[in-house]
Amino acid sequence: MAENKEQELKAIRKKLKEQLVSHLALEDVDPEKIKDDEILFGEGLGLDSLDAVEIVVLLQRNFGIEVKDMSQGRKIFYSIDTLANYIYENQKK
Amino acid sequence: MPATDIAITGLGAISACGNNLQETLQNFSNGKRNGGPVTLFQSNLDYPVFQVNNLPHCTSKIMRSLSLTFAAANQAICNAGLEEGFGNLRVGICLGTTVASQLNDTDFYRQYRESGHAPMGSVDRYLNSNLAQALSKFLNIQTHLCTTIVNACSSGTDAIGVGLSWLRNDYCDLVIAGGADELNRVPLDGFGSLSVVSKSLCAPFDRNRAGLNLGEGSGIIILEKKSVSLKRGRNPELFLKGYGLAADAYHLTAPRPDGSGLEQALIQALNEARIGPGDISFINAHGTATKDNDLVEARVLARVFGPKVKFLSTKGFTGHTLGAAGGLEAVFTCLGLCNGWIPASPGFKDLDPEIGIAPVDQKTQISGKYAVSTSLAFGGNNSALIIAKN
Amino acid sequence: MYIAGMGVVFNRGRGLASLENALIQGWVKPNEFAYRVPQETLTDKQVLKEARRADSFTKMATLAAYDALADSNIPQETRAKVGIILATAFGPQVTTFNFLDDILTYGDAGVSPTIFSHSVHNAAASYIALNLQTRGPTLTMTQFADSFRQAVILAESWLSEKRCEYILVGTADQTGKVMEYICSQKLKIAPDGLIKPFNCAKEPEAIPAEGSAFFLMTNHENYNQYCSISALPVDNREKADLYILDSDGMCGSEEGYLRIANSHSPVAAYAPILGSMLTLSSFSCAIGALMLKNGKLYPSPVRDNPHQMNILEANPTLPIHKIDCLRYNCNQEEQLIRLRKEGA
Repeated sequence: MAENKEQELKAIRKKLKEQLVSHLALEDVDPEKIKDDEILFGEGLGLDSLDAVEIVVLLQRNFGIEVKDMSQGRKIFYSIDTLANYIYENQKK
Repeated sequence: MPATDIAITGLGAISACGNNLQETLQNFSNGKRNGGPVTLFQSNLDYPVFQVNNLPHCTSKIMRSLSLTFAAANQAICNAGLEEGFGNLRVGICLGTTVASQLNDTDFYRQYRESGHAPMGSVDRYLNSNLAQALSKFLNIQTHLCTTIVNACSSGTDAIGVGLSWLRNDYCDLVIAGGADELNRVPLDGFGSLSVVSKSLCAPFDRNRAGLNLGEGSGIIILEKKSVSLKRGRNPELFLKGYGLAADAYHLTAPRPDGSGLEQALIQALNEARIGPGDISFINAHGTATKDNDLVEARVLARVFGPKVKFLSTKGFTGHTLGAAGGLEAVFTCLGLCNGWIPASPGFKDLDPEIGIAPVDQKTQISGKYAVSTSLAFGGNNSALIIAKN
Repeated sequence: MYIAGMGVVFNRGRGLASLENALIQGWVKPNEFAYRVPQETLTDKQVLKEARRADSFTKMATLAAYDALADSNIPQETRAKVGIILATAFGPQVTTFNFLDDILTYGDAGVSPTIFSHSVHNAAASYIALNLQTRGPTLTMTQFADSFRQAVILAESWLSEKRCEYILVGTADQTGKVMEYICSQKLKIAPDGLIKPFNCAKEPEAIPAEGSAFFLMTNHENYNQYCSISALPVDNREKADLYILDSDGMCGSEEGYLRIANSHSPVAAYAPILGSMLTLSSFSCAIGALMLKNGKLYPSPVRDNPHQMNILEANPTLPIHKIDCLRYNCNQEEQLIRLRKEGA
């Protein structure tokens, strides 16, 4: 079971990295080089507030997930890992 | 350049708060807020908006923004005693907008997308709706000074600033200036996607503010050289004393956190008016009720004018009318100075400790000579006007 | 007011050298009846370092503005206070239509905030300020065929009242599938790809185009690199040595230009190289300014001349010190911008 979960998470992280690069026009970033614990905002990928709301759209379109409450955004969008976990949890529902 | 007194001799306003100045003041006084669900177009979003009812000059041949413009312009022109025409006066027209400048007709685009063809009716309507050009035709004014400003949320304020500049340089004798914008699906969807729209009536500067409400309207003022208005037999009370405009150069959608762009615009306007911050009796703030705008703006106001400054946001009455906001708020600032009172800042209940200052929470008497109207635009533009009453 | 620097982005590339080469090369057939800016022209990692999400409208304008500032030699310490006036006929309309596409595809609640943010007219000016780090007065205006002239008037006004000392004044307009469709319905598209600017036709032919031209303008004469420029009307209008005509098929009947034919005034026209844009006058001014600086005339690329206009030859006998850029708009009203060589 745990192995399944880890495999699914791995697939989600891969798809997420590719989607972030293409959807947010991160021109010089290779999705395969993004670390799993890469921080999304400020440092790390250096995303900003416009990227944050764009990620909401990305989650809707590519993972079928609605982020109802943006105030939770800080926690969910902290890193690739936290975002991937959020997707995993909410896709199951 | 010699100082030229530029008078404000006419005011016109139409918004959800009232179809004319009298209705507006009544609603200011009794605190009535006319926000509600959108009925002008189909939308899957349930944000409250501030719509104008019973709009005169409404026809499918022109964009709604133009009908709003005509309504406000007619009021301002009558107010200024110019119903008979402009005679030999050299007239300029400068108006701000957002929606009227874009061909954002979803029906037109749907048809084109589906079939590769679409009727040109919407295109013709759009081509006939450049605000300044259309107003010059409507009023039968021949002028080489005819400009539509598209500076997002500060368009109306900047249009008035352009008019001031033209008059100071003696390019013309009189300017019809302000802004107009209609409620439209595109900005409603767009601002919604930015997570800055509130699902309830907006609460500018409030601790629990949750975003803006969109609105529509038009606010127009008549600017003219004092000497010209005196010759016409008018005795102007109101004057446009200063204008400041500065860029944040920070981000496309977020304001510069230190507010230095707004501060720069305010200082420019105060310097032009040759007054200090202590001379200001009140401020009509931009106050959209978004987390970011109100925090940044209020901190700047406190820094420049001190924590006891009287300020309010009339967007609680009108919604955020985008290109019209600066025009409407200039009119409201004039009304405050003329009538000696400003309304309670609608929607405000609780002080936000992060902001540290509160807008006026009841109808407040005003006795000073000068007031400020501020606008902070999408894209980082900051504008301020200083209006004086004799 | 003087031109201290210029920058252009158009269908044949970026920069004044590209413009000069195009003027020397002459007319080139458009691709698919439109003169579009090649995508590779809009890449510059250094200038566009803060523009990863920007659309092509913004990129065109930012590159042209950057080049105009770089072309000037105004002091480094003044650059943070430079103002910006961007004039456009239709704004970033490709992005506007992309946003409508989003609404139709994903619904009101599923649209992209990034596309929306870039669909507003003033996004480009905001990017210019951000990438050049200028905090001066920044404004975007739209007035169809009169956009650039109004921008020049406002620049004269701001400089005169010392609102700032230097202003980047320019235009940007795009073409795209939807705009090209609208042009095909509202205008006559030249079937052979040739705009004929001297035909004074009742139904002139056009080829929709896109591009951006920027000028660094100032009242400080010592930074003048090209010529003076003014759009304010004057009482006693002097005759120019050359009239550059903006007859590009965008404004309906061009019979108004017959006035110029009848007066035998020397004329030139460059729409066949640049394409048809309501903001073409900015490019005409750029070409006129180049001519005044370099002391040479660029030949008009298409010389069909049914009304015996006085199309200026490559080596005119009389010197050219005064150039007027002229368009008759959709109401047949004259729109004039004057360029004068120093001392003229």
